[in-house]
Amino acid sequence: MSLVLDIFTIVAVSAGAFFFLAGTVGLLRFPDTLTRLHALTKADNLGLGLVVMGLLPQAEWPFDSIKLIAIWLFALLAGATVGQLMARAARREQTTP
Amino acid sequence: MKNVSVRAAMARGAGFFGFWLVLIGTDPVDGVAGLFAAAAATGASLRLLPPGGGRLRYAVLARLALRFGQESIMGGVDVARRVLSVRLPLRPGFLVYPVRLPPGPACNTFGALTSVLPGTLPAGVDDHGALLYHCLDVEQPVAAQLAIDEGLLIRALGGTHDDT
Repeated sequence: MSLVLDIFTIVAVSAGAFFFLAGTVGLLRFPDTLTRLHALTKADNLGLGLVVMGLLPQAEWPFDSIKLIAIWLFALLAGATVGQLMARAARREQTTP
Repeated sequence: MKNVSVRAAMARGAGFFGFWLVLIGTDPVDGVAGLFAAAAATGASLRLLPPGGGRLRYAVLARLALRFGQESIMGGVDVARRVLSVRLPLRPGFLVYPVRLPPGPACNTFGALTSVLPGTLPAGVDDHGALLYHCLDVEQPVAAQLAIDEGLLIRALGGTHDDT
């Protein structure tokens, strides 16, 4: 059983790392601020979710698990909020050069 | 009315203190600091998000959460696919979405929720109060997806709306 959980952890955390990598590649390849924000917010949100999900079987229930989930939710909230604010600022800059 | 806000304050305070205990542990010395932190958090929360009259519908909220999870996965996969494609398939542009939710916390929640949708990014409001979305690919059926999410959110917040 613990081997299955370990394999799950390795697969999920690796998948999470892949999405973080994809987000960073997007930051480099996408042409402007707004498209780059897409890459970072979406890929990192999924990447962090997968990393957290992968770590859950290794964490102590309930305290460490709830902490992990809280980290993901707060990062999600911060990403969604800051992403919107930056998009708003970038749009304003585009329309009034 | 006053009774409602006292109850809301007690419930929120208990929630914040419980969360503190989960994060920090149950040492009594830390608990004193936790009480102060929970009181401050309750004050801020009552000020920023006053208790409303509407009741949350938890079944609809659960459906919204499920959809949010699915959309996060699709959004992440979509962006990764575009990023790693050699041709970099992008057709960026803006979409104007006339939002039905009133401006304020509900509308902000909608913006935050939909920021994970595949290919969309809320980028403020236009002069008429409609939400502006930046899209990675303007040919995706973004507006239809947004309408489904908005219908669910309106129902979850206790509003009546015939949309599913």
